[in-house]
Amino acid sequence: MKWIDIKAGFRDFWDEFKRVRFGLFGLILLFIFILTVFINPYIVPFPEASSRWRDITYWEDNPVSAPPVWVNWFSSTKRAPSLILKEHDFSEEKMGKIKLARAVFEYEYPYDLPPLDVIFHGYAKGSPVIMLSIERPDGQIVELVRRPISKSDGKDVRVSIGKDSRIESYNFGVKYEKPESNRIEREMVKPTSILFSEAKEGILVHPAPLKGVYKLIIEIILPAENDAVEDIYFTFSGGVSGWLGTDSSKRDIWSGVVAGVKWALLIGLLTAFTAVSIGVIYGVISAYLGGWKDSLMQRIFELFIGVPLLPVLIVMSAIFKPNIWIMILMMSCFFWVGPVKTVRSMGLQIKEETYIEAARAFGASSSRIIFKHMIPLLIPYSFASMALYVPSAIVYEASISLLGLGDSTIVTWGQILHDALTGGAVINGLWWWVIPPGLFIALMGMTFAFIGFAMDKILHPKLRTR
Amino acid sequence: MSEPILKIENLKEWFPVRRTIAQLLKGEQIWVKAVDGITFDINQGEIFGLVGESGCGKTTTGKLLMKLLEPTDGKIMFKGKDVTHLEANKLKEYRRNVQMVFQDPYASMNPRFRAQDVLEEPLIIHQVGETRAEREKIVRRSLEEVRLIPPEEFMGRFPHMLSGGQRQRVATARTLVLSPSMIVADEPVSMIDLSTRAEILHMMKTVQRELGLTYLYITHDLSTARYFTDRIAVMYLGKIVELASADEVIDNALHPYTKALIAAVCEPVSGKSNTGRSYL
Amino acid sequence: MTDTDNVLKVENLKINFFTRKGTVYAVDDISFTLKKGETLGLVGESGCGKTTTVLGLMKMVPTPGEITGGRILIGGKDIVPLSEDEMRKKVRWGKASMVFQGAMNCLTPVYTIEKQMMETIQEHKQMEYFKAKNIIINYLNLVGLPEEIIRRYPHELSGGMKQRVVIATALFLEPKIVICDEPTTALDVVVQAQIINLIKRLKKKLGLSVIFITHDLATEAEVADRLLVMYAGKLAEIGTNEQIYGKGGPIHPYTKKLLKATPRLHEKVEELSFIPGTPPDLVDPPSGCRFHPRCSEVMERCKKDEPPLIKVEPEHWIACWRNHHE
Repeated sequence: MKWIDIKAGFRDFWDEFKRVRFGLFGLILLFIFILTVFINPYIVPFPEASSRWRDITYWEDNPVSAPPVWVNWFSSTKRAPSLILKEHDFSEEKMGKIKLARAVFEYEYPYDLPPLDVIFHGYAKGSPVIMLSIERPDGQIVELVRRPISKSDGKDVRVSIGKDSRIESYNFGVKYEKPESNRIEREMVKPTSILFSEAKEGILVHPAPLKGVYKLIIEIILPAENDAVEDIYFTFSGGVSGWLGTDSSKRDIWSGVVAGVKWALLIGLLTAFTAVSIGVIYGVISAYLGGWKDSLMQRIFELFIGVPLLPVLIVMSAIFKPNIWIMILMMSCFFWVGPVKTVRSMGLQIKEETYIEAARAFGASSSRIIFKHMIPLLIPYSFASMALYVPSAIVYEASISLLGLGDSTIVTWGQILHDALTGGAVINGLWWWVIPPGLFIALMGMTFAFIGFAMDKILHPKLRTR
Repeated sequence: MSEPILKIENLKEWFPVRRTIAQLLKGEQIWVKAVDGITFDINQGEIFGLVGESGCGKTTTGKLLMKLLEPTDGKIMFKGKDVTHLEANKLKEYRRNVQMVFQDPYASMNPRFRAQDVLEEPLIIHQVGETRAEREKIVRRSLEEVRLIPPEEFMGRFPHMLSGGQRQRVATARTLVLSPSMIVADEPVSMIDLSTRAEILHMMKTVQRELGLTYLYITHDLSTARYFTDRIAVMYLGKIVELASADEVIDNALHPYTKALIAAVCEPVSGKSNTGRSYL
Repeated sequence: MTDTDNVLKVENLKINFFTRKGTVYAVDDISFTLKKGETLGLVGESGCGKTTTVLGLMKMVPTPGEITGGRILIGGKDIVPLSEDEMRKKVRWGKASMVFQGAMNCLTPVYTIEKQMMETIQEHKQMEYFKAKNIIINYLNLVGLPEEIIRRYPHELSGGMKQRVVIATALFLEPKIVICDEPTTALDVVVQAQIINLIKRLKKKLGLSVIFITHDLATEAEVADRLLVMYAGKLAEIGTNEQIYGKGGPIHPYTKKLLKATPRLHEKVEELSFIPGTPPDLVDPPSGCRFHPRCSEVMERCKKDEPPLIKVEPEHWIACWRNHHE
């Protein structure tokens, strides 16, 4: 086939495809999915989600089980969202050998519920001392942390207000509380809820939000010439976080779900391709050979089709603890039966064509007839059925992962669901942990089902009339 | 005439009819005797016609000669060698020598193959021509032989882009690429329009004379057979009922079946000369 | 000749196909009549518009084809403006019926002969089962088939028998016009002769008018009273059987060549003549006479002007400048 013929054939196909509206819809969805794979780093806050899904340090700045940010739009109490604050005013003062650096971060706080934690990040060289204080909109300055850094050539510094300034913030709050409130345990009060509340009675018990602009002040004492603290910024782990919230291990679900697109496409397409290829070749060979060989191949096929797929896959996964490639192979081993029956009947039809007989009369070998004359005719059908097997492959992988038997080195939608199940998402009402991966599985299935049905609709009558 | 290139002796092809349980128990077997003991020779360089109604076994005979079917009994001798039962490698060699033109040129070509691929296929199968360029040369030559000139214009076309006559020319060219000594032509013109039918027959005859080929021409059409063939065998229910030179069979038919067959042919002559004939 | 003798009159019929490649002028300005009780032969190469013409007569031109002009008068009434529904109820099968090309494939393989025929009857007429069955048996007998055939499936019948079934089906509603599109092409000589005789017999017995289409001039000689020779969507010659096949022979070069290319059994010829070249592409037909690129008697005028259909003797019309004397 020349390129131009393929182009013409494709144009004809496309002309017809355009007319099937749901097929077009499926195609658009598929395009969006593929696009997400490529622009993944630009649309998620945690681009390494795929490789570091189970690395807790990657997620430690996130809040635990926070709902999505858009929950704020529907709720009367606005929660502070997760945020990274980099902008700051920087000034430096020299006092002899010692340098004094000062950085001021402005944080606007118009919310009703404070962030769960505010964390300072920096990269320290030498042995600086870091002092952190906050200037509230009411003018009060609270000194929070004073941390000397042990000498090093450079290391990450992480100061969490929520953890490291419990005493300071408690002491600040307790001044306004009646003495009888003193029995409130220090450990029970969150520092951020004190710091972002009005300084009045009840600050520990019923804090009222103090809205306005806060200043987070970092003062750094740099005792030696080469000492420095670089890349300073604050992260706020908010009451709401990301487009789809976080799970109980602080992971950003949006990042996870988007990372899962790639794996879902891979699992679906690769399984469907392998399975359909095997099935088509098997069916054609069976049809071409005929006689007792055909009967034998059909009995083997029936053996496979009789196997209940899911239980077998579950048992095999439990025994072998497969990685994703083995899993695809295992699924292909059972999925190939799908197209066999149809392909065989088509093959029986094609086999009777005169040009097959002509090829035989010229002395063509069986393999030449099968691969050169018969299979090319079945390619359109193969593509259509491939599209229909993609969703089931995705769902099967999800089912196995849901049971905790999947490949634990990657993140698939099934595994997110599995974590949700074991993490008690349903009991705790963490709906944002359960619905998105489920929805994406359904959406991906729908995409390929639509494309498959549309292709089926176009290609089938053509096959019948040749 | 020279030596016979093909000798057929008492050739039989019986197809078993599927048995009922009662027949199976009794060990009975009913056969459809598609070809029931035919004997004839085809001489080198001759056009031999095999004429009969559909179902008389003429196509089965053609398939037996092409070794697309295994005969039940009898003998096929090709160039003095027994080719009745052949092993795979010998069979391939035999098929290089004996080629077939099918009734429907459209159906006998893979619709996804261009004319060039169609012609190249036998070459690839038989590993003739080392390079693609060499094969293309042979393809071009056979296209010229069937008067598809210039060949370049037709090589890139798919079967559906050719007219009926051109298609049958390509089908004929395909049989010529391997330079066989004999061609079995099964109703090569019955699907072709009358105006081109004569042209195709003319072309086939020219090619036959130029290349010294032997044809077995299978047809139900006595008028083209008379024009095209040297000798005619009339077949009826699996047996040959009359065999003579073409003119002899038509002008002085002896067997009643041949007579009836001749009577059934329409002639482009006015006056309703044929009304009131009796048919089989 | 008065109009009452004409069961069918076609005036300036034009059928175009609107394809992506352009407009195909499949039938271009054709007029002819079908007289009561006659067999009109329609000959021409494949693709010349024979089948399209008769599909037009039944108003069954497949999309993207359309009747773009002319009148079709059946019993004096123009059917071109009729709706699909009216066509089905009043004209199709009732007044004119058709035996299709490759008729054997018109039978559904999963139904018995009785069921298929029953369906056709009941599609057009409300009738009780037994009455309908009687009619079926009558017509099967008429075409020379035994009664027991109604229980058989199509694959159990031979090609000739299937063709007879299809002919019987076409006759149910006692139409006056029967159109046979290549009814004998795929059949053996012997069966061909049988079917031809059957059609002739039925014509006489039922007083039918028949349009018989084929590309085989020899068959036409046997059946047709009058002949229409078509070339590339136009009429080339109209003449009686005697005029075409008799001593005088045809006049139009195309008909002459076609006749020469037809092999004759009782005449040994060394070389059959043939018409060189292929029929023209009807998207862009040649200028002037459409046959001129293949014609051996071509004149300058043929390349420029289209020849009109002129009368050369009673009943004999041709479209050729050679015989045009002003």
